[in-house]
Amino acid sequence: MATTVQVLPKPKAYDDTFWKPITLWLTTTDHKLIGIMYMVTGLLSFIIGGIFALIIRLQLAQPNLSVVDHETYNQLISAHGVTMIFFFVTIFLTGIANYMVPIMIGARDMAFPRVNLLGFWLIPVSILLYYGGFFTGGALNAGWTGYAPLTEKAYQGHSLGVDFWALSIIVWAISGIMASTNFLTTIVALRAPGMKLTRLPLFVWAQISTSILLLIVGAPLAAAMILVEFDRQLGTQFFTTQGRPVLYQHLFWFFGHPEVYIMILPGFGMISEIIPVFARKPIFGYISMVAALFGIVFLSMTVWAHHMFTVGMNTWVEGFFMLMTMLIAVPTGIKFFNWIATAWWGSIEFTVPMKFVFGFLATFLIGGITGIYLASVPVDTQLHQSYYVVAHLHYVLFGGSVFTIFAGLYYWFPKITGRMLNRTLGEWNFWTLFVGFNGTFLIMHTLGLEGMPRRIATYANPAWAATNAIITVSSFLIAFSVLLFFINIIRSWYGGEIAGNDPWKGNTLEWATTSPPPPYNFAKVPPVRSFMPLRDLREAGEDPYEPAPVPAQV
Amino acid sequence: MPPRSISDSISGRVAARGARSHGADILGAVTARSLLRLWPLAMLPAAFALGSCEAPGGVSPIFPAPVSPNGQGIYNTYIGISIPAIIIFIGVELALLWVVIRYRRSKQPAGYIPPQIHGNTRLEWAWTAAPLIVVLAIAGYSFAELQKDFQPVTTYDFEIAVSGHQFGWSYTYPEGFTVHQEGTLAGDVTPFVVPVNKLIRLRLQGTDVIHSWWVPAISGKTDAVPGYDNFTWLKIDTVGTWRGECAELCGAGHSTMQIIVQSMSQYDYERWVRQQLATQNASPKPS
Repeated sequence: MATTVQVLPKPKAYDDTFWKPITLWLTTTDHKLIGIMYMVTGLLSFIIGGIFALIIRLQLAQPNLSVVDHETYNQLISAHGVTMIFFFVTIFLTGIANYMVPIMIGARDMAFPRVNLLGFWLIPVSILLYYGGFFTGGALNAGWTGYAPLTEKAYQGHSLGVDFWALSIIVWAISGIMASTNFLTTIVALRAPGMKLTRLPLFVWAQISTSILLLIVGAPLAAAMILVEFDRQLGTQFFTTQGRPVLYQHLFWFFGHPEVYIMILPGFGMISEIIPVFARKPIFGYISMVAALFGIVFLSMTVWAHHMFTVGMNTWVEGFFMLMTMLIAVPTGIKFFNWIATAWWGSIEFTVPMKFVFGFLATFLIGGITGIYLASVPVDTQLHQSYYVVAHLHYVLFGGSVFTIFAGLYYWFPKITGRMLNRTLGEWNFWTLFVGFNGTFLIMHTLGLEGMPRRIATYANPAWAATNAIITVSSFLIAFSVLLFFINIIRSWYGGEIAGNDPWKGNTLEWATTSPPPPYNFAKVPPVRSFMPLRDLREAGEDPYEPAPVPAQV
Repeated sequence: MPPRSISDSISGRVAARGARSHGADILGAVTARSLLRLWPLAMLPAAFALGSCEAPGGVSPIFPAPVSPNGQGIYNTYIGISIPAIIIFIGVELALLWVVIRYRRSKQPAGYIPPQIHGNTRLEWAWTAAPLIVVLAIAGYSFAELQKDFQPVTTYDFEIAVSGHQFGWSYTYPEGFTVHQEGTLAGDVTPFVVPVNKLIRLRLQGTDVIHSWWVPAISGKTDAVPGYDNFTWLKIDTVGTWRGECAELCGAGHSTMQIIVQSMSQYDYERWVRQQLATQNASPKPS
């Protein structure tokens, strides 16, 4: 029987157009298109949350300013936190995983494409619900944590902002649980032949641990929000002044602390993918990297009350949470040292993604060390709810998560769009961000030490004026850097240099298909012989792009 | 007496405790120097601010000098954690810097192929054990301080009930009168007066939402939660005025919930108490 080489046919709608017809984007179950929509949604939220942050910084630039009134200020800080945490970082990371995980394991799509579709479309619903609060007499004004009893009806007047927030978070949690279930099933069931668990890319392992976390802690979050709604609308007394307000804090932080790891573990995974590629060395300590991920997953669910060291707990209980919190430094330390060891003796090419990786390492270290101070109960009673905490959390979430997001985007943008991001703009983006970020948040630690509480709408103390002015100026440098980033994205998407299939000489399967990949991802799934399947093929001189031979139609 | 500003009281304390604050300055200098080496660009604004470190209210790497023993305990714990923290910080940042400088492709010989090392079990165990030992030591040290200063005190000279509400504090003294510290943004609130060198237990009570009582120069925060009482204590060793603020977001007036603590000699305090009793008896009082 004669065989001819033939490429699988592409669906017509997908092939012809990228932006149209609109129905394609509304109804697609392709994990790549859904992933792009997640990422775009996340980046739009990043812009909105950033604008909130700039208004906050203008208000605090000098003592006694009134750029906005106190009530509006409280709504802005709440909206900044909710937007960045729930609608930007988590959503963007879900998107990039949605795009990459199936390709990295050699699958054609997610296990439940329609659940994926529904899970994504719940996110715009959640976002619109939250911002809808602004039109009902005022959005959430109790901080992103929304502590009861401040959220109770007695202290909120007639505004419905809290209700809209609670509903928004419930929808968000349902979407997160759907995505987590989908990721876990996909990774367990749809791996390519030869892709044993010990050969999974570390980004995929990171996504497994993230999904487990969200699956476990998403439900208690939704439960807390439902109880808040019961209190507000049905007159129950769970968290009211007559009830147990601290119970809300337990429920919220049982979600809230693991959420921090939901936002950083995928970033850890990206770092573990990017360093080996640009240092041209395999990851150091694959097994200990995976073990450390699961150490973090376990420990992160035993530390939540370290956010509550001033509510008045038994000192032995506080001691337990202090110890567990500090123990997280152990798996994190393993990962850190393994990354340095991976780069050690390497031949490192400092491309833009690699610069962001090292920017991440240098800044995240500070966030980790200040975390040890905050874990110590006596020291925490001083630092808690002060600007020291604000600085710490931005070192972890901006110096941590956002730097990894930039690293991952510069690394995978060529795969997603087929075009390289502009390198010069990228270098400018990195250096302005690095300087602006440290200029904003490094001296912010000292404000907390001097006694400036977080979430105050203004201050009268002239001693804090100079520091706050420096912070505000630096925050506009961050804004400038982010502007460069978006210019780069838009310019490169349309007119960037053509990337080719494997511009970085990658190790993992996403580089073994075209850029952007076809709807079915792989014409022929490449053989997997180690956790660096593409490098194996390159060394063996095999071409992963050769389409599969299929029998000719008779 | 008009309250002195927080910066006055800080600089006053620094002068009184020269030896220890000198130690803190060295600590600060080490941090600043190592940071300067690593991020010349990023540190420019911070370096500018550090230049004005001598001026009151400048950028300080440590809390205001404490005036109460529990605050002193926190201060010492902070210094204790800083020693390993600074060593680890400098060590890891130098390692990163070394990698960036030494192992970049342009510094390697042409055609250099890095050794394909997949790991080293002994090294991996070493950097599992080393952080474990460090954090266990820090946790143990912190726990000792926690047991020493954060247990509810049972022996004390007297107790004052501190009640938080939107937006202000009320202090009820054992003599039966109450000082109302209603919040103002300017911070010119009625001072909360205590005698020096007396161990005073504070009973924190919440009446509406959660507030948090915090005066950095005295000690850490204690939340005022509706439904149950929290306890903290202070024993101020010198005459002076210290400022603080509510530290838990409690509504639109959160930033106005300023606190002023004024310590007086026993003689002045007793005179002040008589004054308060006279004023409060003059006004009609519910029986």
